Parts: sequence; C-alpha cells; structure tokens
Amino acid sequence: MASGSEAILQVRDLVKHFPLTQGILFKKQVGAIKAVDGVSFDLHKGETLGIVGESGCGKSTLAKLLMALERPTSGSVLINGRDIAKARGAELKRMRRNIQMVMQDPYTSLNPRMTVGDIVGEPFEIHTEVAPKGDRRKKVQELLEVVGLNPDHINRYPHQFSGGQRQRIGIARGLALQPEIIVCDEPVSALDVSIQAQVVNLLERLQNEFGLAYIFIAHDLSVVRHISDRVGVMYLGKFVELGKDAEIYDRPAHPYTQALLSAVPVPDPEGREQRERIILQGDPPSPANPPSGCRFRTRCWKAQEICAEEEPLLQIRPGIGHESACHFAETHDVVHAG
Amino acid sequence: MKKTQTDVLPAEGGPGDGPLLAVDDLHVEFHTRAGVVRAVNGVSYTVNPGETLAVLGESGSGKSVTAQAIMGILDMPPAVIPKGQIRFKGTDLLKLSEEARTQVRGQRIAMIFQDALSALNPVFTVGWQISEMFRVHRGMSKSDAMKKAVELMDRVRIPAAKQRVNDYPHQFSGGMRQRIMIAMSIALDPEVLIADEPTTALDVTVQAQIMELLAELQRESQMGLILITHDLGVVADVADKIAVMYGGRIVEHAPVYDIYKAPAHPYTKGLLDSIPRVDQKGQELYAIKGLPPNLLNLPKGCAFHPRCPFRQDNCQTDAPPLYEISGTRGSACHYWREVLDGERQ
Repeated sequence: MASGSEAILQVRDLVKHFPLTQGILFKKQVGAIKAVDGVSFDLHKGETLGIVGESGCGKSTLAKLLMALERPTSGSVLINGRDIAKARGAELKRMRRNIQMVMQDPYTSLNPRMTVGDIVGEPFEIHTEVAPKGDRRKKVQELLEVVGLNPDHINRYPHQFSGGQRQRIGIARGLALQPEIIVCDEPVSALDVSIQAQVVNLLERLQNEFGLAYIFIAHDLSVVRHISDRVGVMYLGKFVELGKDAEIYDRPAHPYTQALLSAVPVPDPEGREQRERIILQGDPPSPANPPSGCRFRTRCWKAQEICAEEEPLLQIRPGIGHESACHFAETHDVVHAG
Repeated sequence: MKKTQTDVLPAEGGPGDGPLLAVDDLHVEFHTRAGVVRAVNGVSYTVNPGETLAVLGESGSGKSVTAQAIMGILDMPPAVIPKGQIRFKGTDLLKLSEEARTQVRGQRIAMIFQDALSALNPVFTVGWQISEMFRVHRGMSKSDAMKKAVELMDRVRIPAAKQRVNDYPHQFSGGMRQRIMIAMSIALDPEVLIADEPTTALDVTVQAQIMELLAELQRESQMGLILITHDLGVVADVADKIAVMYGGRIVEHAPVYDIYKAPAHPYTKGLLDSIPRVDQKGQELYAIKGLPPNLLNLPKGCAFHPRCPFRQDNCQTDAPPLYEISGTRGSACHYWREVLDGERQ
C-alpha cells in the first residue's frame, strides 16, 4: 500500500506543552505538561501509520495537533508542503478539508438532537463549495451507502443505531469532504469484539477505494498491526521506536516496545506457562516532570548511567534496520503463537 | 425479599462436597416499560476452589447480570428472578434472608468492578474505604482497621502504603485504583471472587500487573475466581475453563485448551476467527455478520441463527439445548459436530 511517492503529511519536531499555572488573578506559570515533546514523522499517500502507547503518552494530543485543534508550542505540521499549524482563517479552513478525524466514542461524538443526514451533511455547511445545496441529500445518501448503512435511514437519530453503526456514521462524516488523510483516534476500542472486525474491514476497504492515508491511534496492538504499514511507539510524548509493522512486532529494539508487546495477552492458551513476559513495574512518570536523559530509564532493566545523562535520539542504530531511541537498543526476536 | 427464607448460612471452613459455587438454570428478567427484557435465560456454571472460570461475552450477553445475581446486588424490581438456584457450598443463596445474604456478600463472595474510579467514593480516603470492611463486618476499632488497610495496600503492592493511606481516589492512577478495589475485595478473605472486566479500562502493561496480582492472591488463598471479560487474550492466559455467553445463555462451555483448539459453537468460532493474525495481514478480517440480539425481542429458535454461517432451517424454530460433548464440554448448537470438524480459517 505504501508507495514511494512524496509525503503528504510531514511532522517536524512537534512540541506541545500545556502550561501549569498558579494563582487566580495573577496567573504565573509554574511548570508545563510536556504532552508531545519532539515528534517527527512522514505519512505517504495511501499509507497507514499506527501509533501505540499507554494512556497519557500524548497520542491524542498528537492527533489534535495534526487536526489544528490545538496550536503547537513549536514545530510544524506540513500538509502537502504547507504548515497547518501556522495557517489562519480562510487558509486554515481550506487545509482542514484535507484532514479529517474519526473519534473514539461513537456514543458521545454524535449530536443526539441531529439526524444522521444533518450529522453527515454538516461538513458541507461549512465547506459549501464541495456540494451545492440541492445536491447535499443525495451526497449524504451516497456516503451512507459507502460505509454500509441503509441510505433510507437518513432521517433517523443516533440513538436508533448500534455502536458499530454509529461508528460508521462517524466515518461517513469523516469522508464527506473527500480528505486525503483521516486521523482515527481509537476507532474500534469502544465496540464489541464481533463488531470491531467489521469496522476494521470497512476502514481498509475505504483506504483502497479512495487512496486514503490513515493515522491510526489505538491501544489494541493486534488491530494496529493488521491495519498499519508502519508503526510508531510513543512513550511520554516522544516516539521511542518507528518502523515497518514487521520490524516493530517481530524485531523490536527498544526495551519499552519489547515490554509492551510481551504484555499483550496471546489468544492461545498453548504454552502459556513458558511464555516470556516482561512485566514493567509501576506507572509511567508524570509528563510534567519527565526523567532526565532517557524518559523510560526509571522503568527500564537496561538503564545505566549514560541513560540519565544523555537523551537517546530516534535514529537508525547499528544492526537494526529501523529507528529506535535507546542507547542499548538490540533486536529481540518475538516468537508468535498461532 | 420476603422473610419466608431460611437463615442457615453455608458452612465455614473446608471445601466440603460438590462445587464451591454452582449457578443452576438461572433466569433473570427486567420488567421495564418497554417490555420484559430477558437478560439471563437459563445459565448454569460451577466454580471450584482455586479454579478460574472465565465468562466470555459481549455487552448485553448477560454475563454481568449473572454476576450481580450471585452477589445479590440486582435492583429488584425491576429485576425478577423467576427461576433458578445459586448454590454456595450447597446452600441456595436466593432462599436466604436479606440479613443472611449480607453475611455472605463481601465476606464470602466478593466482587471487583470494572471502573474503579466510579466504584470508589470520591469524598472518602482510600484508607477509610478499605478499613470500612473491617469496621462494619469485623467490628474493629478505627485505628486497628486502618492498620489492616495499610497491610492490605502492601499486599496488593501499592508503593508507600503508609503514606498513601490517607489519599483520595483521584490521587491514584488507574492501575493503583484497581489495586485498591482488589484490596477491598480480598479484605475479608472471600472464598469466591468475581472480577467483572477488571482490566478493561487499563493499559496492557498495567493489565499484565493486575492479572499477575490476581493469580498470586488466588494461589495463596485458593479462592474460586469468576473472571468476566470479552478479551480472548486475557482468557487464554489465566482461565481453567470458559463459559461463552450469547443472548443470555451459555452457548459453549469447555476447558480452556479445548475451546481454543477447536470451538464447538459457531459464535465462539466466529470470535476466534475475527482476531487479527499475523499471516492475515492485508486480507479482510473474518467478521461475524449482523448485530448482537435485542434482549427485548430475542430471535426465535437459536438466538444466534440470524448471524450464523452453519444455520439450517430447524435453527430458526428449535432452540438447541446444551448438548453434552464430553464430561467437561457442552455446546448449544444443533450442528456442533460440523463446527467442531470445521477448520479454523
């Protein structure tokens, strides 16, 4: 799916710090939550980049920065060479047409007082040039059909649909403006197991049909592997490892990736007693006060003095075919069951 | 509840004869304005000391309602239990008086809830909430109970328990809150522990910690554990036997190794087939067609028939009984032989 074409999305040194303030009348900044702290990657046409990491690692803030729902503290988000982070007014509106979002929770991301037709058609109200007024109803029905919903249900309300169907409505809304990039923030985690596969299949079909590029944020690592061409692993606001799906899953080089993968329960009881499992101790440190040097060192079994002094950069290291951010990175073969 | 019931409590101490806990042909209905919701339609399962039973199912399959019926925390009305028994060491809990039931609840059978943040009271310290178990059930003094709370927090490995005992729930992370829930549930050394989706809200790294902790506590005390979940991975890791629920019934029950090797019900098979596997990359995932059933209006015959690839004509009219496949295995499918022989995709 990934082609050699140039990147439609280039993220460079993206940083978002949320200020922590004290005082009511005279607010003074006492610190900052470093939610995203130096993230760079490219996304090509028709490609899927999966982003995994624990809650609080900055995945969702990253998604908001890409959508220009938050302004970055520094860094740039180039969509087809133009920086959405610096765009304002009419230019921003134009650029947003090209990047859309599918939200996590289909129960709260749809307005209960609007009909499905109004929800899916709302993007056309803002971007009137995409569909002229008389044409909209037909367009919305086409979209419903594309995502596998009955076009006759255009006048129904969200509560009349199941979770999986609601997520399809959210996807139809994301498709309305024919974007090149869709950011999916945990699109299947709120759904029942038997419905998840249906929605994943739909996303893949739409990608092939429309040449969409996805940023796919999720914590279910097996779903991410299935849909992604490349995977980035985030820890406390930074990528610790970035590579092709097989590189990350079969030959992870960063200790955090290794621990994360080993913690995923394998749906096969065969040999469960012998399974090697790295159980990390404790919780991730606070992003307001991340450890010096390598951020993972406080939970890492390989940590040495250099890890506290020098921050490892995300780069290709000797003997490893993909980028990792660890002084002692070495690949570790993962034997999959099944 | 009426006062016509017995007050005889199940015997303390040794395991005694038969299973520790046996749910037998349990039915639960909710009488609502929209009609009668048949949430549980004849569920039977057993748990022995030291054993882990995983109850697997989607939302609305009745797995949590069954657990709430065992705990006796269903709101009645609207809930009604028209039929069935819940035998704890041979005593039917449904026949006990409310006072006797209180003696069992929390002390002998305890429960861990899914969402620790909403299950804990935000305006009391965690120490107060844990020690409440000892004050209420054991009549301990405040200071003794507090000491026990610190011990328990140590036991579930909350770091710096002594300093943190006076903190409020919001000051803990999700994993730590779940540990506090576990501390409360094991406070009085229950014989049966029901864990309702204990790790669903947690990250995988924290999930691994919590599951390890539960396994360790179980080894120490030989509790019977009922693990309610929809995660096939967690089940494969810890369960001894599995009961798969669909539409308020158990559609398949089996020892864990058997079910993953060769499922005997089309629904179980569908769930296992829809897990993304490495060699399927780029291909379409197997997906169970259609939607979970509406409990207000369950399909006639087998509740799964509208979604079933093995369906024949009689499935639409005859509800299959739970066919016995072997002494430890059963499947509620007329065509379980075909399903069992079918290659996993």
